[in-house]
Amino acid sequence: MQQPNKIAAYLETVRQQIRWKKAQPPVLEELENHLTDQKNAYISDGLDEETAINNAVAEMGDPVIVGEQLDRTHRPRPDWPLLIMTAILLILGLSIQFLIRSDIHNGTESFTKQVTWAAPAIIVLLMAYLLDFTIIGKYPKTIYLALMVITMASYWSYRYVIGSTAIYPLLLFPTAFAGFVYSKRNKGYGGLTISVVAVIVPVLLALLIHNMTVLLLVGLSCLIILTVAIAKGWFNVSKLMALLILYLSTGIASLILFLTLMSQAYFRDRLQVILNPLQGHTGWVGTVIRSFLYHSRLVGEGLPVSGYGSVFPLLSTANTNFLLTYMTYKFGWILFIGIMLLFAAFFVRSVIISQKQKSVLGQLVSLAVILTVAMEIFTYIIANLGFLLVGPISLPLISYGGRALVTNMCLIGFLLSTFRTGNLFKDNVPVGKSNRLIKYENGKIIIDLKLNG
Amino acid sequence: MPIDKSLLTGSTTMLILKLVEETDMYGYQMIEELNRKSNNVFELKAGTLYPLLHTLEQKDMLTSYEKVTDNARIRKYYSITKKGRKYLQEKATEWQTYTAAVNSVLGGVNFATA
Repeated sequence: MQQPNKIAAYLETVRQQIRWKKAQPPVLEELENHLTDQKNAYISDGLDEETAINNAVAEMGDPVIVGEQLDRTHRPRPDWPLLIMTAILLILGLSIQFLIRSDIHNGTESFTKQVTWAAPAIIVLLMAYLLDFTIIGKYPKTIYLALMVITMASYWSYRYVIGSTAIYPLLLFPTAFAGFVYSKRNKGYGGLTISVVAVIVPVLLALLIHNMTVLLLVGLSCLIILTVAIAKGWFNVSKLMALLILYLSTGIASLILFLTLMSQAYFRDRLQVILNPLQGHTGWVGTVIRSFLYHSRLVGEGLPVSGYGSVFPLLSTANTNFLLTYMTYKFGWILFIGIMLLFAAFFVRSVIISQKQKSVLGQLVSLAVILTVAMEIFTYIIANLGFLLVGPISLPLISYGGRALVTNMCLIGFLLSTFRTGNLFKDNVPVGKSNRLIKYENGKIIIDLKLNG
Repeated sequence: MPIDKSLLTGSTTMLILKLVEETDMYGYQMIEELNRKSNNVFELKAGTLYPLLHTLEQKDMLTSYEKVTDNARIRKYYSITKKGRKYLQEKATEWQTYTAAVNSVLGGVNFATA
């Protein structure tokens, strides 16, 4: 029992040099494997175990120097391009609110409010970033439940106000759902069924607040997350069968949903946009948006619109819902294109890095965040181009709304965290297959020789 | 045969990339292969190899994955990326130019093409 301790002592010295705790386990495991290989090679060369271990340890080199070199390689590094893009979007958003403050009723007040919200939003981003996405995989049920409670509470406290604040906790559901699916690894059809049932919760909540965009966003995101999980063989069932079950149940649920919704006036109003684009209030809003965009120029303020002059009739909600339309008319398409390019760069960068994620949890969480933010952007653009089948929620980090800002910053914080520590996090090895000779738990080194194995 | 260490620094990266160019390998295997292929001239220390491997992975020249071996141990395999291949090619060309130049100055047989 003396000799393996020598390996453990060596690894402990290396560990002490590596300051970033999260980087330690995978690195030490690799070194430990190497020492074992080397030791076994020496033994099969005819050396006794003690000499073999001594040689193997000596062969690797001074543990302090090795540890220091590894420390230099393993530093928590944020993804600077994404972090910088986030900062640019945030500053751009605030600048736009500042620029249009005099055009909008209570504009100065709104701008001050938004700046005040930016502080907690930055704190939330940092918290999500440092808490790390692994927390989503660790406590999926608690997070799910907490989100449910928050959504219900915001619904009840604001139920008489149009535009419920319950939208924002709902936007976090796809990300929480990623953790939920992650916890159902190898759980078979039962795990798949529970996951499908779990989607019903945010869908019902979205129905409760009469928000079609959130309903679509949450439903579609969760569907894609489940599809990816099935494709990765996450539930350990026949992929084809699982996909069949998933899409069949989604189809039936959508049909029931559609028929239920058809009895609701607000839903029929929305649908009118397809059948008769000019009818009703929504039709009027669409017409206004289209005619103002039609009179916009590439650079500079647009030409007067007959009937309105240059006063945008939707000014009262321009900073929240129709910022893009208003900005395009006021400053030209160049601004629209600029914002789009910025979001495109953000999106492309996120997708590229998320594809490098090795852990399934990292992949699912980054996918969930990317989907949520992308769909927010997409629906906002569509609505701002005058097609109002789905209403706008928010243009992430740009449009007015403190809660939206905090929510999106939280999502981006988790996204950034997957890029920071994602490559170090390992999906749990299935129970009973732990093969590690040495484990680190509560600061103790546990040596398990598995001699009877 | 002892060899001046300074000749080796910088080229270690090239050698590692060359090794994994053919097949994915884990760290221990690389040291063995390098030893064998160089007729025991290159004895790469594990303590040098792993920091280098991790740096190369961060620079996207290598990627890694884990594989459970026959005796139920988890091994970390390294695989070369497109970027790694490109870098290797550049380095190899550089090296050949350099050795050819040294050889022609020395005036002897050109070992590089032997």
